[in-house]
Amino acid sequence: MASVTPHDRLLDEITGPTPGQMLRKRIFGHQGLLIGLVVLILLTLVAIFAPLLAPHDPYAQSLMNRMVPPVFMGGTWEHPLGTDHLGRDYLSRLIYGARVSLLIGAVAALISGVIGTAMGVAAGYFGGKVDAVVTFLINVRLAMPVVLVALAVVAILGGSLEVVIVVLGLLLWDRFAVVMRASTMQVRRREYVAAAQVIGASTPRILLSEIMPNIANNLIVVVTLEMAHAILLEAALSFLGLGVQPPTPSWGLMVSEGKNMMLFEPWLVLIPGAVLFVLVLAINLMGDGLRDVTAPENRS
Amino acid sequence: MKLTVLKSTIAGVALAAAASAAWADKANDTLRVAFTKELENVDSYFNSSREGVVLQRAVWDGLIYRDPVTNEYKGNLATEWEWIDDTTIEFKLREGVTFHDGSDFTADDVVFTVNYVADEANGVKTQRNVNWMKSAEKIDDYTVRIMLKDKFPAAIEFLSGPVSMYPSDYYAEAGPEGMGLKPVGTGPYKVVSVVPGQHFVLEKNEAYHDSPKGQPTVTNVDIRTIPDVNTQMAELFSGTLDLIWQVPADQAEKLAETGQFTVSNESTMRVGYLGMDASGRSGDTPFKDIRVRKAVNHAINRGELVEALLKGQSQVISTPCFPSQFGCDVDAAVSYDYDPEKAKELLAEAGYPDGFTTDFYAYRDREYAEAISSYLNAVGIDTNFKMLQYSALRELNMKGETPISFQTWGSYSVNDASAMVSQFFKHGSLDDARDDETLEYLNIADSATDPEVRKENYSKAIKRITEQAFWAPMFSYNTNYVTTKEVEYTPTADEVLRFTTVTWN
Repeated sequence: MASVTPHDRLLDEITGPTPGQMLRKRIFGHQGLLIGLVVLILLTLVAIFAPLLAPHDPYAQSLMNRMVPPVFMGGTWEHPLGTDHLGRDYLSRLIYGARVSLLIGAVAALISGVIGTAMGVAAGYFGGKVDAVVTFLINVRLAMPVVLVALAVVAILGGSLEVVIVVLGLLLWDRFAVVMRASTMQVRRREYVAAAQVIGASTPRILLSEIMPNIANNLIVVVTLEMAHAILLEAALSFLGLGVQPPTPSWGLMVSEGKNMMLFEPWLVLIPGAVLFVLVLAINLMGDGLRDVTAPENRS
Repeated sequence: MKLTVLKSTIAGVALAAAASAAWADKANDTLRVAFTKELENVDSYFNSSREGVVLQRAVWDGLIYRDPVTNEYKGNLATEWEWIDDTTIEFKLREGVTFHDGSDFTADDVVFTVNYVADEANGVKTQRNVNWMKSAEKIDDYTVRIMLKDKFPAAIEFLSGPVSMYPSDYYAEAGPEGMGLKPVGTGPYKVVSVVPGQHFVLEKNEAYHDSPKGQPTVTNVDIRTIPDVNTQMAELFSGTLDLIWQVPADQAEKLAETGQFTVSNESTMRVGYLGMDASGRSGDTPFKDIRVRKAVNHAINRGELVEALLKGQSQVISTPCFPSQFGCDVDAAVSYDYDPEKAKELLAEAGYPDGFTTDFYAYRDREYAEAISSYLNAVGIDTNFKMLQYSALRELNMKGETPISFQTWGSYSVNDASAMVSQFFKHGSLDDARDDETLEYLNIADSATDPEVRKENYSKAIKRITEQAFWAPMFSYNTNYVTTKEVEYTPTADEVLRFTTVTWN
């Protein structure tokens, strides 16, 4: 691209920017998406490199150094965000807690995404009895209050990381199924699907290469929504003592542990609460942005 | 988000309370108190909680009273008593005492109460409090004999504690449910109204007899159940509560720093310990090995727990009982110092050089439980942390399904080692040690009438238990009482809140 000839310029004017260029332009023109993406990537990096970043062992208890205030409230840089009720470094627990939150968010969204998408696409594409059965299952699922069912199951099986992930994964597929079913129904009637059917493509091939790519933008939005949902639910369960069990650091658990001292040491609750807020906001901003940049009506 | 919800809840509750209870204060001679736990039944024989003991001491009287400061036994509903033989006590009853409903207190009431509660079929909640009595017999209107099933030297202590006297006619008709809703006793306070589990209103008994408990000063006592400590403190700040108790150490410290409240701290008889499944009831657990149990004992930094978490009057405990209890010989106990290296060595010797993983159960004081499990983690014992309700843990415990658990026992404030050691080491359903030698000593100690013989055998039992490290006793509890500056209250070491000794400043 060192020398732009008049011919190239003319070509650009005639053909206009490529779809890729337009997408890039929309992405970089969308502030919400950028902010969400940057924060999420940062937090993911923090989670992945937790052992390198954490200044202390998040499990090392030091009862003689309990509830040291964070540096902006008169503490020292030894513990930048202070220590918790057992003298464990708050920053380190926060960093390791990101792992738990992101892992639960990602895996629960993945499990429910696979279940919900399979059901929704099948219902939308095949219609008829399949659709009736799936719609019935969706209705059954929507009739159950997620938090209560999760509470009951976790109470029976005992709280642990694996149990929470599986329970949330098996509970949060309804939105995937609803959205995927509607999107598939729209796409199914398109000419290119009919064309693929006419030339004798197999059903799996049609689903994977004709339907899926054209409903992926909706899928991504639901994934982000459900990820945020799962993260909040994990925090709620842990807050109630039914989620991740101590000493595993979890933001919900940290809020719960700090609750008793809330009147006197509000930062114990504020810090994990704020990080939770930022993470969920970032994911939602990103989901919103992805919808905006991929939605057909915004393509022009 | 969670924070704002909580904060607004607190503010809302405080406002609502301020609106409804604004009429009550020192000027109205009404003491407003918070209970943390819901009391299942006011009838003192049908609950097993501390709140129940508090109401029991306010509403009812026992035959005998133990001065909480001097530990001297004084006559309350009985004026004198005498052992006729090893299993019979004769009481002369106080004359002229009336129940809150106006009926007279006579020998019939004692006979009815004792015969009712001693009958296992009536289902008194804590059998140990009453099952040593066989029956009672009326000699004349103001003389009565209580017959024991077997020799039971701690009888006087129990009679001064959990055994209180009920009005026979009323109780026969109302039963535990009726008594729970409309309690009638002889005590210093009458019950005006009961909203089960939630709200109790007491009023001074103007006709209270000349009891060693003393005459009540405060006219009305208004007790509400407020489960959340933060809410209790918010109400204390907003002036809708006068007295809160069982305040966690950290919060009590902060409340004291504000200078607006009087914070007093007293030790209690409650002992916190780790129970280990030494007999292998929960399967082939590592705790069957004495070296593992000793390792657990060495792994825990009791001093740090007491100094940093429990604070106040708490002390490091090495006995399976509270040191003030009769027979609780501290010198007989083997104490284990904090030595994580030695703990690791012992684990390696026992065949667990890399440690092992076990379920770890707890039911209260999550913070302490976490700290304890963290000590265990540090020497290589990984814990699946399980926090249960007390009733659920007790049930698991009875079935023998808890390899290691953080337990506490308050002995019902009975100042005798039998209330704790004998509760847990006599092969009952809660006994995970099931040690015959300990049982032998305790059988002698529990039934001997000679105090020296009792002492000697409790000492032997304590030595055996600690040598074998069946438990890891850790610390005693303390209670913080926080009152407004208007209230004057001096707590006692038995964790019983006595309204009779509360006065206004």
